[in-house]
Amino acid sequence: MNAKHYDVVIIGSGASGGSVAYMLSKAGFKVALLEKGRLIRRDEFSKDELAYCRRDLVTPNLFEEYHVIEEKVDGKWVGTPTYESGWSFWNGNIVGGSSNFMSGMFHRLHPDDFRLKSRYGEIKGANVVDWPISYEELEPYYTLAEKLVGISGHYIPHPYEPPRSTPDFPQPPTRENAVVKLLDKSCQKLGVTPLVTPRAVLSQDTPDRHACYYSNFCGSYGCSSGAKGSAREAFVKPALATGNLTLMTNSHVKRLHTRQKDRVAYAEVVDTVTGEERKVYGDTFVVAAQAHESARLLLNSANKDHPDGLGNSSGELGKNLLFSGGGSGQGILSKKRLKEIRFEELMQTGLFVNRSILDWYFVDDWWDGKFKGGSVEWMFEHQNIISRARKDNVREGRYIWGKELGERLVKRFSEGKSIRFEIFNDWLPNDNCFVSVDPKHKDKYGMPVGRLRVEGHPQDLKVGRYIAKKCEAILEEMGAEEIYSSVSAAPSQNLVAGGCRFGDDPKRSVLDRYCRAHDLANLYVVDASFMPTGGSVAYSWTIYANALRVADHLIKRLGKG
Amino acid sequence: MKRRGFLKLGVLMGSAPYLNAKAVTAFQKEFEAVSPVIEAVLEHIFPIGSQIPSAKETGLVHFVYETITHPSYDKDIRSFVIEGAKELDKRTQSRFVQMKHSQKEYALREYEMTGYGDNWLGRMMTLGMEGLFSDPIYGANPKEAGWKALGAYGGQPRPKTRYLGS
Repeated sequence: MNAKHYDVVIIGSGASGGSVAYMLSKAGFKVALLEKGRLIRRDEFSKDELAYCRRDLVTPNLFEEYHVIEEKVDGKWVGTPTYESGWSFWNGNIVGGSSNFMSGMFHRLHPDDFRLKSRYGEIKGANVVDWPISYEELEPYYTLAEKLVGISGHYIPHPYEPPRSTPDFPQPPTRENAVVKLLDKSCQKLGVTPLVTPRAVLSQDTPDRHACYYSNFCGSYGCSSGAKGSAREAFVKPALATGNLTLMTNSHVKRLHTRQKDRVAYAEVVDTVTGEERKVYGDTFVVAAQAHESARLLLNSANKDHPDGLGNSSGELGKNLLFSGGGSGQGILSKKRLKEIRFEELMQTGLFVNRSILDWYFVDDWWDGKFKGGSVEWMFEHQNIISRARKDNVREGRYIWGKELGERLVKRFSEGKSIRFEIFNDWLPNDNCFVSVDPKHKDKYGMPVGRLRVEGHPQDLKVGRYIAKKCEAILEEMGAEEIYSSVSAAPSQNLVAGGCRFGDDPKRSVLDRYCRAHDLANLYVVDASFMPTGGSVAYSWTIYANALRVADHLIKRLGKG
Repeated sequence: MKRRGFLKLGVLMGSAPYLNAKAVTAFQKEFEAVSPVIEAVLEHIFPIGSQIPSAKETGLVHFVYETITHPSYDKDIRSFVIEGAKELDKRTQSRFVQMKHSQKEYALREYEMTGYGDNWLGRMMTLGMEGLFSDPIYGANPKEAGWKALGAYGGQPRPKTRYLGS
């Protein structure tokens, strides 16, 4: 085995790992960025639906690397490996991670999300706690992320819109489909305030990245202009330009090893192509492998000094895993019933819907009571052609095929367009949502796989259903047909957080307020693992902001600030 | 959430995740044995004269073969495609290919009544649509015929290489 030594070794090149790599290499540290997957460059991406959306091209083969998902069946916990179910919990194992494939609808958490317990009190069956930091401490980094990631938007004051230190976004919003006229008018008629969605997509060129070219296929695909603020575009590329960053692709970290009790000495790395193993040494280690995998790595790194896993003296490692509560719904805007706008305008491809609703972020309802609610995003149904063609070809339980199938598909594609809402609300932390390592199942590298118990809290469903009803009313007002919504207790495998809670008490948390393990002087976890509660928006902006905050702290602590 | 159960018909499935060269040859033979049945089923689902391109005109069965042979394709579903065709062949006393349209319709509707047949026919529909509506580079959407029929087109940039290889 050959050995190299770096100032900082980062495991995972996604939103958080990429951000830390950027900040530290800019500050002059020698950084190693270990990424399990390969590098796909901007000009290599295409809109190949088969390759990117229907085959495991950017995630591991589930027969080789998988998770075991535990669900309650007839009162008992039953674990099913994901190679059995096909329910993958991988989210983009390439340089830049899943940020390459996001839709980029970005929101900050609300100040009350940092003090949920103080604000709303105990919820039975939920492990709600306040964060050790406040919104005010994170705000400068939300602003920094806005600039570095490139978030376009237009600030509209709203009671539940968090305060900002700058008047507006660095770039104006991306272009919008005319359907927003109909959506805005329908919302206003119902007394609802539609807001312009901040989006991690450039509307204007910058020196290194081009503006969005409205390809019609954004989410689930890599961006070919560099407009999307993936960690690869926004952070890894400029970090490489400093000359201080060593990017190691196809490098999977199996374990972290300590020499002294309170210091990680090296990462045990396997080359995913050749199978060769090596050690990577560093002064500081930063884990950013996505919440469920970061906890798994620390659990798999147990040794005689840390018998229950690295950083687990509290017993909290892997506990209080979070997904996102909520659901989605949609309706069809048809040629014959469309109002306010022309059908040709509706059918124009590529432009965004760009509308969010925060009116129900906190609810005080005369009938339903007072509770923490959630946010809503509006969008067209994903424009993937195969998946749109494949759905809903059944009548009375029997397939529609033959010439009738052809007529049905042509009608579906030419006479209407589906508009959709997605609800994001808190996935309340609870004792039955956690990640451990499986006692039997191992991946192809011989390491125990993550075993995820994924039960939600009943309150999550109540909140989701409350908001879904409101959104269905908006669809009705818009004149949509075949309206439906679905609020599910199933976890969102692409929105994962928690498992390494941060807090000031080492007995009740894994990380301190700067996301350093209480038990180890040189181990940090910077992905969404740190979040004790998840808030009611997608995690991406908060992940970026917090990683930038931790990086700032590291620069000062390691002596180059 | 287990899905493997309904892919099985008393037949043990292979355990190797990838097909090696030897296995590809063996699999090719297996596929060739049921290929006429699969072709006839695809032609029934996607017939000539429909508003979307037909299985026959687009060579859909070749797309299905290339797709399921590739290492990235789920190995259990690969076996399921073959076993399901064998089962249909057995149920129709190996007469399916020669049947008249109305007889085929009857046989497939009968097969659909079984959970297993329902899943297999669903898989045929999925594979067929993957061919007809994927990028022309994969061969079953010649001159964007499938996209033109729907008035919906893949985004830019289009793939220059196939994930399947050349």
